[in-house]
Amino acid sequence: MEYWSLNPTSLKVMQQKRNLSQIHTNKTLLNGQLNTPKWWAPTVLILGIAVVIGLSAIGVMVNKGLGVTGLSRPVYWGLFITTFVFWVGISHAGIMISAILRLTQAEWRRPVTRAAELLTVFSLLTALAFPLIHAGRPWRIIYYIIPYDFARGIYPNIRSPLIWDPVAIGTYLTGSTLFLYIALIPDLGNLRDRTTGWQNAFYTILALGWRGNPRQWKMQTVGGILLSALMLPIFVSVHSIVSWDFAIIPSVEGWHSTIFAPYFVIGAVHSGVSAVVTMMALMRWLWKWDDFIRPEHFDALARLLIVVATAWLGFTFLELLFAVYGLDAPELALREMQLFQWPWNFLFIIFMLTAYIIPVTMWLFKKVRTNIALMFWTSILVNIGMWLERFMIIVPGLARKQPFVFTWEAYRPSGLEWLILVWSFAWVTFLMLLFSRFFPLVPLFEQKESQVFTDDVKIGRASVPAIIREID
Amino acid sequence: MIKNPTVEMTDEKHLPQANVPFDQIAKDLVRTTTHGGKTIRRVSIILGVLSIVGIVALIVKLITQRDDSTQWGYVAALVSFLLTVGGGAPMVAIAPVLAKANWVRPITRISAIFSLTGIATLIMTIPLLVVLPPLVVDGTRRRSIWFEGPNFSPHVWDYIGILGLIITGLALFYTAAIPDFAVMRDHTTGWRKRVGRILSRGWIGSNSQWRTLRMRIGMFGTFYFLILIFVHFLFSSDFAMGIVPGWRDAIFPMYHSITSLQGGLAAVIASLWFIRRYFKLEKYIHIDQFWSLSRLLFATTLLWIYFFYSAFIVFWYGRGGADKAWIDLLVRGSKEGIGPMGWVFIFAGIFIFIAPWWWLIWNSVRRSINGPIIAASLILIGIMLDRVRIFVTAWSVPTEHIHDKYLMIIPQTSLPSGLDIMIIIGGICIGLLPILVISRVIPVVSIWEMQQFNLLSKPVKYMKTHGVLVAKPD
Repeated sequence: MEYWSLNPTSLKVMQQKRNLSQIHTNKTLLNGQLNTPKWWAPTVLILGIAVVIGLSAIGVMVNKGLGVTGLSRPVYWGLFITTFVFWVGISHAGIMISAILRLTQAEWRRPVTRAAELLTVFSLLTALAFPLIHAGRPWRIIYYIIPYDFARGIYPNIRSPLIWDPVAIGTYLTGSTLFLYIALIPDLGNLRDRTTGWQNAFYTILALGWRGNPRQWKMQTVGGILLSALMLPIFVSVHSIVSWDFAIIPSVEGWHSTIFAPYFVIGAVHSGVSAVVTMMALMRWLWKWDDFIRPEHFDALARLLIVVATAWLGFTFLELLFAVYGLDAPELALREMQLFQWPWNFLFIIFMLTAYIIPVTMWLFKKVRTNIALMFWTSILVNIGMWLERFMIIVPGLARKQPFVFTWEAYRPSGLEWLILVWSFAWVTFLMLLFSRFFPLVPLFEQKESQVFTDDVKIGRASVPAIIREID
Repeated sequence: MIKNPTVEMTDEKHLPQANVPFDQIAKDLVRTTTHGGKTIRRVSIILGVLSIVGIVALIVKLITQRDDSTQWGYVAALVSFLLTVGGGAPMVAIAPVLAKANWVRPITRISAIFSLTGIATLIMTIPLLVVLPPLVVDGTRRRSIWFEGPNFSPHVWDYIGILGLIITGLALFYTAAIPDFAVMRDHTTGWRKRVGRILSRGWIGSNSQWRTLRMRIGMFGTFYFLILIFVHFLFSSDFAMGIVPGWRDAIFPMYHSITSLQGGLAAVIASLWFIRRYFKLEKYIHIDQFWSLSRLLFATTLLWIYFFYSAFIVFWYGRGGADKAWIDLLVRGSKEGIGPMGWVFIFAGIFIFIAPWWWLIWNSVRRSINGPIIAASLILIGIMLDRVRIFVTAWSVPTEHIHDKYLMIIPQTSLPSGLDIMIIIGGICIGLLPILVISRVIPVVSIWEMQQFNLLSKPVKYMKTHGVLVAKPD
């Protein structure tokens, strides 16, 4: 009696053991730190220039004021807030991939975790910059947080999501950084033992005396699991709170919806995991990590993305349906504008095509899921779509003419705003590349652990890939 | 490559047992269909009598209170409860099976059997359709998800949806049971053998039959999930939100679906505990199943509060007329202070979230046989209370207010009548009876799944620790 089918293609499953020696693993995965690739310095230089240009643009805006942007009555929240929400969304990659897949013991997570955690940290840093930029006079942000005029009874409203936002994002950033660091310690010990001079001193300090004894391994594992569990509620709360920046405001049509919190979270997971796919493809191409980042990993991520994207589509449908369900005239007018009026209808079509229809249709085919170039481009499409989604949520509700509002203009982001948007991408990439020069992007110890935990079992005539799960 | 990786371990947490012969598994599990004959018969008779009482009460209510929709809240709550628990339970098996989790194998059959509770849902929904207002009330079209659809769209499509869910659930149950019907055919005598012969449809376990079986389970499982979400969307919108003026709550269908997963998990844990104890299945249902299920239960418990709070905070901050009416009606149960339904809400919150959350947060509780059953029982009570809170309050709104912008006056809380109590007890009995009956026809733990379980999952000693070697064929 045969209980499963075993054909040649099915042999390439996630659990299948691949015999990669520890020397090969060390040599290949530390090539960014020990033998810096030739492309690294020129790329970092170009990105550095882009970062400087972007920072200069921010400087100009701070100097001249928000008048240099396209923001004007009644659209006060535009490209900056859209990009803020977008980067908070991308930051959900780390915990989704690293914490959730760690807790569910998904083996295929191993080569991806570090990059995902890193993306979380850098995208959060970037996201935090946008409310500051958006304020026009960033130093005044402090008044949101610190009571500044007791005499006249002016206090920050601690019940406002604008206060919760920095608290939640700050907590998430702290937790994610700790999470990243704890997972990095064994690899820092490895680098310490392979370097000399200042590098050795640098890694010695960061490795915190790591020797890899059983007690240290136990603490490192427990620390990772505990942080995973602690980070999960923060992960959910961050984008929920961002969504409540909008949802609790009944005066703007399209915002006052109960579904916003989970809708934002699932959308964030969709865009975050897609960003991880983009990163994985780049890592495989640039550092030639073909042995470690394999087509099967893209296949697994694409399957996960199909589920996530479809759940997100369901939430989108519910959001739209219950917006018009009430049959309130202003809400109906807004939705008509979003769906049928130029240029919103064009943006809406592009958003749906790029965020769901094109990528998910393609991912239904295994040939696409295991084709790294196609996965790379479809994941980029998703993030174009998800950026547009945030734009379509934030701007149209403000841009539509309201009763008793007699000055309004169509919002057209200025060149400076676009420049700052481009800066954010250059900035995150710049930070990632800088990190890759000093720290491995694929966790070495995870790879080695995977070698130990996978095996093949002979059952009857078949050889079946197997995993060892600890139960003690 | 590990040739013979198994080690003998008798401690129940290190199960599954190594190298149990296939025939032994078949014998042990077939035995459960005859085990406890007299007790099961007695319980079945009691359930049957209570079911009949419930149906009679339902008919009497339909005859006497057909014109007053405000009296039907408890029946709506019951239908929602049955749909939530009975509809959600099969998902407990489907999701991990699609994710190729091995621990779920002893659970698949008992989860799928819950699709039989759909019979009760179908019966109890009929009178609700009779009393549900059409889309055009007093010449004006009311707010609904059907917009300009035909007048009786909710009545027709909701019933078709529920029927579709039940048919898919039964198809899933039957498809996965075919190899076991063949075992019944080969290992039993008398009427069980005859039933096994008919229902096994010539199963001999050929490669193509196994391939087809796997494909069908995947297909029906996916369909079931999609239909389940769709039915919850329809039911929650048409039988609760649609009849309360001003209630516009995009998250509510998802809230209804999430509690269905929670209720399904709780029901499966409770039934698993029961069959393990009374059918003497300690050898096959281990601590690992309770541990894994209670982790999922813990997660869904957190999801309940998240989905509730996501809606609550938007209404709380919104402070518009409709926002305040929602809080008064569905949370406080009154415009002033806390009304009776406010207390129901508080107890529902304690039973669904606070108590199970505090209980399940401890790993030693999750990793036990008797710990999860306590949380599961609390959650089942909590879900019933939550359904009463939602549906009784929604149905207590008189039809003449259906076109209002939002609810200005919070209606009087209707308390359950004798008929309502009989219908609720009867409805639950109608749900349980087919489960008990089917346990006489086919084992409540899948034989073929257990055989695969033992084949693919072996206890191993790794270094100084114990582990399980899980083979995962693609």
